[in-house]
Amino acid sequence: MKGISIMKLSCTEAASVCNKAEYKEANLREKLRLRLHLFFCKTCKDYHQNNRKLTGLIKKADIKPCSAEQKEIFKQHMKNGSSKTSK
Amino acid sequence: MREANHPKMEENQLDPEKWVDRYSDYLFNYTIVRVNDREVANDIISETFLAGLNSMKNFKGEASERTWLISILKRKIIDHYRKSNSNKGQAELKMNFPDSENEGDWLEERVADLSDMTAEDQMENRELGLAILDCLDQLNEKQAKIFKMKTIDGLDTETICNEFNISPSNLWVIIHRARTSLAKCLEKNWF
Ligand SMILES: [Zn+2]
Repeated sequence: MKGISIMKLSCTEAASVCNKAEYKEANLREKLRLRLHLFFCKTCKDYHQNNRKLTGLIKKADIKPCSAEQKEIFKQHMKNGSSKTSK
Repeated sequence: MREANHPKMEENQLDPEKWVDRYSDYLFNYTIVRVNDREVANDIISETFLAGLNSMKNFKGEASERTWLISILKRKIIDHYRKSNSNKGQAELKMNFPDSENEGDWLEERVADLSDMTAEDQMENRELGLAILDCLDQLNEKQAKIFKMKTIDGLDTETICNEFNISPSNLWVIIHRARTSLAKCLEKNWF
């Protein structure tokens, strides 16, 4: 019988599934196996909780990235020594 | 070649070739809450980089490169307020403008005014955003870039893997490292 060992995740795998879950990229089977692992493993449970919290903080911070195009414009301006080219 | 890991051990130096890639996100997030207009923010940042280039000889190496750029940025933001005040004249008179000695407070008041969240929440979230960008600065550039694309830009795994020519499992290892060190970096003040 290797039913149990199929269900079992190592801590490394559990962490990986845990990360994927934060980006909604863990499938159902992975999530179930993660649940099971977290039930027994305090280390991963802590990691999971911290990870959830981190996602929450990142959402809350609402960071607005500067686009690649805009960065190119900045570089162009620096090269030309003027910010008047874009208009 | 620069050693990525311990910039603080050395004397602070300017490396303008890298400014845009390194500091644009930070400067943008710093500026956007203060001027609340994307285009204006970008103009101000562009002027900041140019002013930085033109005043490199004034850099004493006491502050970090970014702190130095931020001090230029602050002046540019204040200039912007001055200009828009004199343009709009009456419209903004209802706001209380102190004289130049307290420009910092003045900025803070402006920020406090623009929000539909409570001012405190918005300030805190802004600080948090800058803290996160700050922590990401401590990762190596590739890791930070991949993490931002995945987490902040919300790009899908495949797109990022193609761009960096890495496998999905490579990507997840990088994400794991980034998340772990980000959590550790934020732990003291935010967890
Ligand atoms: Zn575990």
